[in-house]
Amino acid sequence: MPNINERPVCHRAEDLVTYLYGEASEVEARDFTEHLQQCDACRSEFGVYQQVHDSILLWRNEALGTAFSPAAVSIESTIDSTQFVQHERKLTALAALREFFSVSPLWLRAATGFAALLLCVLGALALSRSWNKPVQLANKATEPKYSQQDFDQALQKRLDEMARLNTEPTPPKANEASTKSKPTDNGNRTQLAVNRVQPKTPRPRGLNRQEREQLASDLRLVPRDDEELPLGLSDEPNQ
Amino acid sequence: METATNDEQMVERALSGDPEAFGEIVRRWERRIFALAFGMLGREEDARDATQETFLAAFRNLRGFRGEAKVSSWLHRIAVNQCITRQRRAKVRGETSLEDEAEKNAAVFALPLDVSPARTAEKLERSVAVRRAVGSLPPDLRQVVVMKEFEELTFQQISEALELPLSTVKSRLYTALRQLQMRLQKFGK
Repeated sequence: MPNINERPVCHRAEDLVTYLYGEASEVEARDFTEHLQQCDACRSEFGVYQQVHDSILLWRNEALGTAFSPAAVSIESTIDSTQFVQHERKLTALAALREFFSVSPLWLRAATGFAALLLCVLGALALSRSWNKPVQLANKATEPKYSQQDFDQALQKRLDEMARLNTEPTPPKANEASTKSKPTDNGNRTQLAVNRVQPKTPRPRGLNRQEREQLASDLRLVPRDDEELPLGLSDEPNQ
Repeated sequence: METATNDEQMVERALSGDPEAFGEIVRRWERRIFALAFGMLGREEDARDATQETFLAAFRNLRGFRGEAKVSSWLHRIAVNQCITRQRRAKVRGETSLEDEAEKNAAVFALPLDVSPARTAEKLERSVAVRRAVGSLPPDLRQVVVMKEFEELTFQQISEALELPLSTVKSRLYTALRQLQMRLQKFGK
């Protein structure tokens, strides 16, 4: 279709329209027909506008053929009463969503999209945390829970108890150790307690496995049935 | 014209208290007014509402009709104003994008069943394109197109209805056709 954007060269625009809609008289129609044979601009325009006219007619016939029914346009009853033709328009959820987004301004659409994205991200984070927790718990169970200072203090306490138990049959040694240990700090006391223990039974330096396990249970490093893990663990694998 | 004279007589009878006189005017003109409203608004529901509002307004302002113009012209003017007002309201509310959807949904059930789906789709697309193109025209051009294409009024009748010179009506229609051609080109007509 030729693109008619420029102003027509021919000045017979009104005659073209009159001829197009069949309102030209016989003389006018004959005259314009001859003009069309000579004028390229008018001939081109006439063809294009004829197509536009046909398209509008087609739309009109389709639309008015289905749309208008005198019974539906009940004007008299409207004058007598306030009743109007009622029509229902049921929207599906998707159509309702489309309607919402079509009438809402741009900023609202952007905000809704951002909120949806944020929810997805938060949901994904929450899911990943819940999956990772048991593995972390398993790792933490074997790791020390206390700081070094806490551990030393707990160890010292336990060693003191053991030392007390062991020193009863051999008091002098214990006395010597106790006198020596009093003025010293925790580290020396720990060492002395260890020395005290050593002569009794031949053992390697430090605690054996049994003692370690007992110490750990005393320090509550391993959960008992009725107890929770201290310091930092809110959930147990069993719960 | 006989019809015109009868219309004026009907108005006089309605003013004198005859309840059926105005109903006769409605029966004579409702189809034309509906066609005008449909052409202006593009939607059946809106056209019905606008048609009803037109006749309601005419009934309320019957005493203001002085007989200087024809009844048809008077009704046309009321109808055009109603349509323009509705379009302004719809524009403010942003009621645009669903019109195509609703129109398509309604038209699908209106087409004969023996039409193939491809042809149906093509018809719908073309109807929507033409409706959009007409709807996008300025009001002064649109009303001329609608009155000429939908109501099939003569140039003289349009000139009387809109109280414009004949040459102005023709030049507006020419301009409207040119703009429609450019718009329809965009839609791939």
